[in-house]
Formats: sequence, C-alpha cells, structure tokens
Amino acid sequence: MSERGLRIDIEGLGLRYGRSEVLSDIDLHIEAGERLCLVGPNGAGKSSLLRCLTGLAQPTSGVIRLDGQPLVEIERGAIARTISVVPGQVDLPFSMRVEEVVRLGRLPHENPFTGTSEEDRRAVDAAIARVGIDRLRDRDVQQLSMGERQLVLVAMAVAQGGRLIVLDEPTVHLDLRHQVDVLTLLTRLTDAGLTVLAVLHDLPLAAHFFGRLVLLDEGRLVADGAPGEVLSAERIRDVYRVDPRFVPSFASS
Amino acid sequence: MTTTDLARERAAVRQGTFEALRRRPVVLGLIGLLALAAAVVAGIGLGSVFISPADTVAIVGRELLGWPVAETWSRAHETIVMELRLPRVLTALVVGLGLSVAGVTFQGLLRNPLADPYVLGTASGAALGAAIGVLIPLQIVWLGLGLVNILAFVGALTAIAIVYRVAGGGGRATMTSILLTGYAVGSMLAAGLSLAMYLSGSQLRQIFFYLLGSLSGADWQSLAVGLPVVAIGSLLIMLRARSINGLLLGDDTALHLGVDVRRERAILLALASLVTAAAVAMAGLIGFVGLVVPHVIRLLVGPNARLVLPLSALFGASFLIWADLGARVTGELPVGIITAVIGAPVFVLLLRRYRAGYQL
Amino acid sequence: MAAAAIMLAPLPWATGVSASDALFPLAVTDDEGTEVTIDAEPQRIISLSPANTEIAFALGAGDRLVGRTDWDDYPAEAAELTPVASFTGVNMEQVVALEPDLVLAAGNFFTPPDDIERMRELGYPVVVIYAPDVPAVMADIELIGSAIGAREEAAALTAKMATEFDAIGEAVAAIDARPRVFYPGGSEPEIFAPAPGSVVADMVTLAGGDPITTADAAAWAIPLEELIVADPEVIILGDANYGICPADVAARPGWEEMTAVVTGDVRAVDDVPVTRPGPRLTQGLASLARAIHPDLELPAFPPDAPLCEGAGA
Repeated sequence: MSERGLRIDIEGLGLRYGRSEVLSDIDLHIEAGERLCLVGPNGAGKSSLLRCLTGLAQPTSGVIRLDGQPLVEIERGAIARTISVVPGQVDLPFSMRVEEVVRLGRLPHENPFTGTSEEDRRAVDAAIARVGIDRLRDRDVQQLSMGERQLVLVAMAVAQGGRLIVLDEPTVHLDLRHQVDVLTLLTRLTDAGLTVLAVLHDLPLAAHFFGRLVLLDEGRLVADGAPGEVLSAERIRDVYRVDPRFVPSFASS
Repeated sequence: MTTTDLARERAAVRQGTFEALRRRPVVLGLIGLLALAAAVVAGIGLGSVFISPADTVAIVGRELLGWPVAETWSRAHETIVMELRLPRVLTALVVGLGLSVAGVTFQGLLRNPLADPYVLGTASGAALGAAIGVLIPLQIVWLGLGLVNILAFVGALTAIAIVYRVAGGGGRATMTSILLTGYAVGSMLAAGLSLAMYLSGSQLRQIFFYLLGSLSGADWQSLAVGLPVVAIGSLLIMLRARSINGLLLGDDTALHLGVDVRRERAILLALASLVTAAAVAMAGLIGFVGLVVPHVIRLLVGPNARLVLPLSALFGASFLIWADLGARVTGELPVGIITAVIGAPVFVLLLRRYRAGYQL
Repeated sequence: MAAAAIMLAPLPWATGVSASDALFPLAVTDDEGTEVTIDAEPQRIISLSPANTEIAFALGAGDRLVGRTDWDDYPAEAAELTPVASFTGVNMEQVVALEPDLVLAAGNFFTPPDDIERMRELGYPVVVIYAPDVPAVMADIELIGSAIGAREEAAALTAKMATEFDAIGEAVAAIDARPRVFYPGGSEPEIFAPAPGSVVADMVTLAGGDPITTADAAAWAIPLEELIVADPEVIILGDANYGICPADVAARPGWEEMTAVVTGDVRAVDDVPVTRPGPRLTQGLASLARAIHPDLELPAFPPDAPLCEGAGA
C-alpha cells in the first residue's frame, strides 16, 4: 500500500476571536508522509490550529497551503476529499451499525443522483480491513466500547480517503491497550505514505509514537523537533508549570 | 458486563428475516411498491357504497387511460370513483409521502428522534391560519383552494420563518435553540388557536375537524396545487440525502465531510417546511405519520437517508391510504385517530422486536 | 293584542320564490342568499336536517325523500330513508349513490360549509335552509314548498300554523302575567341560554314569557352571576329530554335562591317541537305556553306527555 501524503505549509498564521488572540505567527511545514504530534497545555491553541487547517475557522492572518495551493482557494468538497478528520466524540441520534458509520466517510465522493458507487464500497471494505474491525462490522455502534468506537471513527476517516489524517486527542477515554492500538494504526498509515497530524495530551505516548513533536503555548509555537529536543525538563516546567518529575520519562532526569 | 453481553446475544438472535431485508433494501422497496399499489386499488375499490371491482377497474381504465370499454355502470358510480375516491386516494398518497419525507428531514436536521414535521411550530401556525380562515366570513377561492387551506399553508410557513429568525438560524444557532424556539413559538400560536376556538361559536366543529386531520375534502383542484409542491420538494430533499447523512454526525464532522452545514440546513429546513405546509393545507393536521414512518424504516434499513427517504415516502404513502380507508369505513372518523391507533402499536412492536440498542 | 299577531302580521314569506308562474325550471334564493336553479320537479330529495325532513313530510313529499341525517326521528317513516349525514359530516359517496335532484341542507354550520360547497361542485342543486327566528320558519316552509313543487301545500300549512299561532297568542294575551322565563339548553360546562332574537327567545315571548337571554346575539352562554341577577320566575327545562329534572336544578350551587326554584316553578318540556324549526312549532309553542302558565287552557292541542315523572314541580 503506497499513497501520496499531503504536504502542508503554514506561514505567519494568526487567529483572533474579537480581542483575544488565539493563535499568533505560527510557521509550520509538514512534509508528505510525515507523522507529527501537536502538544501543549489546555488552551494553547492546538485545536484552533486544527480548525484553521481543516477549514472550520478562517485565519485572521497568514496563509495555509496544501501541496502549494492556498487553502482559501480550495472548495469545501475538495478539502473533504483531501483531509480526513477523525471526530473527537460523536453522539449519534439514531442507532447505527459500524459499516454505516464508516460509509459516511465516503460522503465527499458521493454523487447526489447515483449515491454510493462500487469504488465507495471498496474503499469502505478496505478501511474496515485496514483498521482491523471486520468482526465489528454489523454491530451497533452504541454497543461498542469506547476504544472500539474510536477505531470505527478512524476507519471512517480512512474510508474518506484524505491524504492527511487529522486526529484531536484520539486516545482520550481509552485504556492503555486501545491507546496503543490506535497509535500503532497511525504509524501504519504513515508507513503507507499518508500524512498524519494528531493532538495528544499524553507526552510519553506522543514521544514514543511520533518522530516529530510541535509544542504550542498561549497561541505560539514554542518548539518543533524530535521528542528529545522538544520535551526538555525546562520546557515542561515553563509551559506546563509542573515539576518534570510528574512526567514519567523525566522522572529519572 | 454481563448485561451488555446478554443484550448482544439477544440482538443477534433477533436478526433473521430482518437481516435479510436489511441487506437487500431493493427488496423492501419492491414490497413498498406492491403495498402502495394494493393500497391504491383498495382505496379506489372500497367505500361506503359498493361498486364491483370490475366496474371500478373499467371506470378508471376508461376515464384515465382511455380504454375502449362500454359504459355499463351508472353515472353515480362513475362520479364516486372519479370525483370522490380517486382524488382522495391520491391526496392521501401525496400527504402521507410528504409528511414522511418531511419527518425524516426534520429528525435528521435536528438530530432528534422525537422531531416530526410539526415540531417547529408548523402545526400551530397552520392550525391558527386555518382557524382564522374559518372565522373570516369571506368566501375566497384561489387556484381552487379555499381560504382555510390557503391560510393554513401561509400559517405553517410563517411560523417556521419566525422560529428560524428568532433563533438566529442563519448564524451560530444550535439545533437545540431552534427546537426550543420552535416549542416557544408553537405554544404562543397554540394560545392564539385556543382563543380563536373559544370565539368561534358554531364554527368550532370545523376548526376541531381541521385539527384532527381529514381527507374527506380532497378534490382534484387542491391535489393539482398540492401535488407539485410535495413532489418537487420531496425530490429536492432526496437529492440532498448526502447532507442529511453528514449532519447525523454533528455540525463539525459534517463540515469535515464537505457539507456546507449552514446552507444545507437552511435549504433543507425550507424544503421540508414547504412540503409540510402543503400537506397540512390539503388534509389538516394528520399526526403520527411523519414521526413513526421514518423510525420504522430506520429500524428496517438503518439511518442512511438515501434509503430512508424513498422508502419512507413509499410506506408513508400507503400507510395513509390504508388509514384513510379505515376512516372511511368507520363512518368518517378523523384519520389522525386511525393513524395513531394503527401506528403506535406497530411502532412499539417493531421497536421491541428488532433493535435492542435503539435509543430515544 | 297578542304579541304573536304583531309579529306574524307582516310575515315576509314567499321571499325566496321567483315571480315566474311556470313551476320548473325554477330559480330560488336560499337562506344564505345563493341562487339555486332546479330544473324539474325534484323526485329524489336528500334532507340534511330533521326540520327539513319534517317539513317535506308535512308537505306530502315524504315519498320523494331518499336521504336523511342520523337525527331524523320524526315522523316514524323517516327511519326508512338512507342516512347520509352524521356528526362527522356528509357521507359524500352515499349522496352521490342516491343520485339526488335536490338537497335540502341546513345553514349556520349544521351542514358543514365544505360539504355544501362540495355537493354544488358535484352538480347537485343545494338549497340551504336556516331560520334565525320564528317568522323565518314560516318563510322556510314556503321556500321548501317552492323548491319541491308543493307551493299550495306549503301555503296551506303556513296558513294553518298562523291560525294556531294566533289562537295561542289570544289565549296567552288573556293572562296578564309575563314572568321572567329562563330556558336553559344545557348547563355543562357553561349555562347555555337562548340568544336575543333566536327561535327559542321568540317562542318564549310568544308563549307569554319574558325571555332571559345572553344579551348578545353571538353569545351562547350566560354567566351564573348574570342569571342570578336576572332572577328567573319560571325555569323551563329544555334539557329534560337529556335527563335534567327540577330536582337537579335545585341542587345546583347558586340556583337555590332563584325565585323559580323557591316557588317550585321549574318545569320540563319536550324540547324537540319547541326548538326544531318545522311544522310542529305550534305544538311546541302550546307546550311551552302551558309550562309557563300552568293554568292556561289550550284544548285544541293534545296534552303533553309527562317528563321527569315523580320529580315534578
């Protein structure tokens, strides 16, 4: 499996709501096929950055380019076919089966007249197989555990066929086993060539599964690089305002 | 743990014929078509006056399809079939279809299983409009529609427009705030309706019958006006099934799936309201169809709007024809009573039978 | 002279009939002002009110009636007609199946206006009959007489009724008392009272009473307080047919102080002839006059069957 990932260039990005500055002067370049994790305390601007990148929020300044093309010039349908977002938490008004949820990922590809095509069905099958939830296929989503639901949502994003997969705290609520399952899946996706951008709160897991971390604080990009460089004891103390010994991997240092 | 395991096991046991249907929605569609055909035939063939099936077929064949059949029946029978039963059955079909399609749309848009076509004040608006139409001592007929029908249509649309504006539907309004505004505006209009009923004196009966819904006034003129509105509105809604599906997951996810949420929601609300208003103007407030038919279909095929919309249209149409036939043979009971009496037990039965995990 | 004579003298009957001498085709103007053309003498008539049915029978056209409502209970032969209307409205299929050449509908929403419109759309001549007061009843009898080709019978009937009205009027005029009379049409949930100028109010006046009314022609009910102030001297139980008897009235809170209740002048009548705007109206008037003035002698009219046995006043 080899897919072409999306290249992202963010330059001078700023976002303000009224008087409050949520993001300022963010420069970030992500290569195609890269796996990158955004970290930072609550309110650092991680989710806002994702919202700008996926077209949900309009930046007040700066520019975002997808494969060199400014995001503002791309219509919503095309963005949806390029960027797959794994929803944080979804509450469904009606009971739905796993396969039906995964199939929703194909909406951006659907023709309003003819509906789901053979290609869509193949993509759904492939996504289910890739995420490894075949055995859940006909189950009601409401009967699944939190971890299983998260995998279903990842499968939906995979079926969507974006060249960038965005996840906002995909491991929250999950036990360790399911956290590892989801993150392992992400490494497989980048191995296949896709670009993956995630927000994680769990620093040790982030450090283990991502080769590149970006640390945000108060709307600014504070550090960008390998986990070892970004998560120095000093930064943990400055940014998170905690004793680094509370972070397991720094407990010894 | 054990309780969920048990629920899973029971759910697994329940799957059988249901599962087979679910895997083949086309089969369900064919069953729906057959049921609709049977309903139309029964609706034209049966009534308080007996007309032989052969005559019924011959009358319809000769008058509609130009069959060269000799006229062996009485004028009266021809009038009953062509002027009373046929327009009535077709009106039931159109109204049942429209209410079901609108029901699917409102439930999907508002992400609320309890929503129905009347949820955003359309019912109270239409009822108040109709009551005013009853009370105004004028005989106005426009496009073959009486004042009551026209004002019911206008009332329904006005109510929903007020709800949408007051809730700030174009902006950041959440569906919950639109729902609550709908409830508030509906209550206010209902108070107006109560006042109109209190003041209506001998016209009370007419307003009351409108509230219960009836197809006894169906004729070709109102059908000729209502049919295109419901048909075009429903078709345009079906072409937006994609958006309804996207909205199942909430606004943000719908946006991520390429749905222009604000625009699609406004368009779908407008279309569903238009269809509801047309149905209400033709037949009064027939309850239950728009709430239950979509749920029954969802229980059978899942929530995919691309399937739920056309199947609800089919089954909603035949359901209302059968219910109206029940109303006719029971001496013109209001059809809303029949839809509830038949619909509620069927719904509860399906709910218990097919889906343990269905949450309301 | 008698109030009856004053009211009946300038009876505006024969209003709805066109001047033409040839009977049919005929154009009549019904009580809602609609001009209706009747091509030939009607042979298949549907009556949509008990009063219309009684009038048609009284004019000797009972054998030409084909349809009736669920409430047509007089004369007994009416039961043999096909019922085509009930509280849910007109059964249009039955109407069409009966192939009527004349429909005598009832106004003031008794026959639903939509149904009247529908029958006209289907091409049937529909004459809407509605009598807001006693003289109008006489006019309606003449109107129906014209519509069904029984003018002479109608003229004879109204002449006979006029004579009877006069006879009762003279008998009543001989009595000086004009008691305040309350004629309730029901007491739940509100006290239903006759509106001023209504048939019932007219009838009470003609029967030698001073009717207590709702004061507003559009109101149906009277508040209890106003009724206590009006203080009826005689209460006539128009709802006696529905099981309301003098003892029930005395037991109602607030009613025990009314003069009629104190003096025991609470009497039951059969409300059908009193309130049904048809040929038995004079008989109803006689019953009503006897109920208001128990000493009144009206030998020309048969005695009333007793209502509320044992609970008498």
